[in-house]
Amino acid sequence: MDARVVVTGIGVVTPIGSGRQAFWRHLLAGRCGVAPVESFDTSGYKVHVGCEVKDFDPAPYVERLEAERLGRASQLAIAAARLALADAERAAEDLEPARCGVAMGTTSGEPREVERFDDCYVAERLEQVDDRFMSLYPCHVIAGHVAAELGFAGPNLVIPAACAAGNYAIANALDVLRAGRAELMLAGGADCFSRITYTGFARLGAIAPERCQPFDKNRRGMIPGEGAAVLVLEPLARALARGAPVYAEVRGYGLSCDAHHMTAAHPDGAARAMARALEESGAGADEVAYVSAHGTGTPTNDRLETRALERIFGDRARRLPTSSIKSMIGHTMGAASAIEGAVCALAVHDDHVPPTIHFERPDPECEVDCVPNEARAMKVPVAMNNAYAFGGNNASVIFRKVPEARP
Amino acid sequence: MNAAERRVVVTGAGVICALGDAPSAVYRRLCAGEGAIAPVEAFAVDGLRCREAAAVAGFEPRRYLGQGNLRPLDRTAQLVAAAAQLALDASGWTRERRHEHELGLALGTMFGSVHTISAFDRRALTAGPIYAKPMDFANTVINAAAGQTAIWHGLTGVNSTLSGGTTSGLLALAYAADLIRSGRASALLAGGGDELCFESFYGFYRTGRMAGSRNGAAPCAVPFDARRNGFVLGEGAALLMLEEERAARRRGAPILAEIRGHGSGYDPSRGRDGESGRDALVRAVDAALADAGLAPHAIDAVSASANGSVAGDRCEAAGLAAVFGRPLPPVAAVKSMLGECLGASGALQTLTLIEALDGGVLPGIRGLEHADAALASNGTPDGTPDATPGDLARSRPLAIDAGLVSAVGLDGNVGALVVSRAGEGDG
Repeated sequence: MDARVVVTGIGVVTPIGSGRQAFWRHLLAGRCGVAPVESFDTSGYKVHVGCEVKDFDPAPYVERLEAERLGRASQLAIAAARLALADAERAAEDLEPARCGVAMGTTSGEPREVERFDDCYVAERLEQVDDRFMSLYPCHVIAGHVAAELGFAGPNLVIPAACAAGNYAIANALDVLRAGRAELMLAGGADCFSRITYTGFARLGAIAPERCQPFDKNRRGMIPGEGAAVLVLEPLARALARGAPVYAEVRGYGLSCDAHHMTAAHPDGAARAMARALEESGAGADEVAYVSAHGTGTPTNDRLETRALERIFGDRARRLPTSSIKSMIGHTMGAASAIEGAVCALAVHDDHVPPTIHFERPDPECEVDCVPNEARAMKVPVAMNNAYAFGGNNASVIFRKVPEARP
Repeated sequence: MNAAERRVVVTGAGVICALGDAPSAVYRRLCAGEGAIAPVEAFAVDGLRCREAAAVAGFEPRRYLGQGNLRPLDRTAQLVAAAAQLALDASGWTRERRHEHELGLALGTMFGSVHTISAFDRRALTAGPIYAKPMDFANTVINAAAGQTAIWHGLTGVNSTLSGGTTSGLLALAYAADLIRSGRASALLAGGGDELCFESFYGFYRTGRMAGSRNGAAPCAVPFDARRNGFVLGEGAALLMLEEERAARRRGAPILAEIRGHGSGYDPSRGRDGESGRDALVRAVDAALADAGLAPHAIDAVSASANGSVAGDRCEAAGLAAVFGRPLPPVAAVKSMLGECLGASGALQTLTLIEALDGGVLPGIRGLEHADAALASNGTPDGTPDATPGDLARSRPLAIDAGLVSAVGLDGNVGALVVSRAGEGDG
């Protein structure tokens, strides 16, 4: 169980750009993806902005399946998967399909399908429900559609761990590879912009009116978003043998549950997940150079998250670069920690960390170095990716530099 | 960590399903060939050709969960939390002991609660978004039942929700077993749960996958029967307490069985190509046997996922025949009694096999009269020369040391799990 697993391909579809290079460029430039919501009418809401992926066209990515017969989350996931595989330079070409698997995280699966059902229901027109509703909707079809599109016949799983789901999927893929149950795993997360999600966060009073300002004293909440990220994961030995590009090693992870409250986090659980991830990674807390924060921008989350970071990093928590890209791309739900995992791998590889934008006033209750407003050039030998979810599901994943691999 | 050094045993089980709320009673009724399929009462099915399901009638969560505030828990969460209570009781994990030792939960589910999700949305549509209920929103996430169960019982360890359609429960058991083998956990509840609700019932009805929904013929949800034309929905939750063997023995826990190995995969044709589906199941079963260190001939019985699906049952029979040849080991298929319980199914199948280790009887396939000729050409579910459909329908005495649970999902997921008597058959 000690085979080393590395990231050899990155595919992302986000509100500020798709594909590794465009995304990373825009992220380091501090681009903001917030815009008026177009997916549905927000006139009945007190808030009106979101982070949608505008003008997304699945056609270039969906070759084997029919794009119009897939929900939007599946389309986003397939796009990210195709981009990741292309980035990994023929990673699957010489492998048996049965040795290639898929692990995806999501919060809502294909919520637009159930929203269509609900529209028919309230209009008392159930006969207009699509016959394919139950083939399109259940969340497990996201990983299934990716596998069917690519012909992958290996282990296939969706882990719907809400806003930490991407990390859960990466963690599962790591275990699948270490156990030798596959030789290549696509791992990530996908969620599409959803009326249900937007309504819920609006009712919780969690959505900021204009922008997301993690760790800022005047932060007013999160901004719902959508997107997908897929990482190509494979054993280091195989990546080296085929001369593949290597972004980072997925060194270890930690999971925990608060068992405290459905929607309010608790620092104990977050700290246990971090401690476990560090322990498995064999990395001391002092080796972590960058933390990708969960950093939703709600008053409560960022305060409790800071408390958890202090428990692990002590005084150093104040100086440890800890940014939240949710300030730029919003909260992409089940995709969030997968996209942030891609960010950690890129930070390790590229010697840069992305900023937290819209930062204006420090909060004495959130004393972290949130890399305010400007990306920073710095070495990142070890990065930690933190994610916390409804249900008290916590997940931390450690990424580490691989000096011996092709950059 | 050498996987072989950490063995995974089952120290207790909890179940809430249409046939009862105790593993031994459910097993007895399965062996007696009792069906639980009845007219749906929980919601209106007027005007639909399908009107039956295997519901948990008269479910009273307080019987299991006491006097706490149940309002935050929807039906799926209540079913899962109740099954968890029963499994914790059966395996001796008292509240005091749970306080000292971290327990986890790996829950397989297909929907969480599509009813909760849909009702939340419909209220916002009809009353306006500002009248949507925040407490219901917390339960619209698919991991809500696992999160609520963790809160109810104080389960602070790994808490994961796994979705692979009707294979979810089996995949959750496999996931949990690997966490124990790799040293990430020493004790977890694992299994699955899904509720019966109008949204999934009507949705499956419209796909034509429900028995009798498509052609106007009488519904026939009998696994492997030539007349079958789909499944009948069920509901429930089933959780097994999985523990690392030495730790379990040290604390004097009852040891019911061992989880020996598992395998899973995907049919990229999503059930449309019979050969592709069969091959996917063969690979999963082969992987499970290899993981368990057992040869096919060591398998004494199979607990199949067959639910009356025309293509799915054929795929499963063909896959099993390809692995085991003839004669096949005896096959149980419980869904003509329990219904298709979605995320709970894999755990219910596993529980059936575990009960049969001790009970010495394998439940028959209720209602089987005409084994499908197409299946026969690939090997009938039980290919012994003298096996007739009548034999398959009847429960039979059987000494089981090791058995296989197989699962073929509706959309391409496949899985297999090997269980055996604990501490035997070191292979």
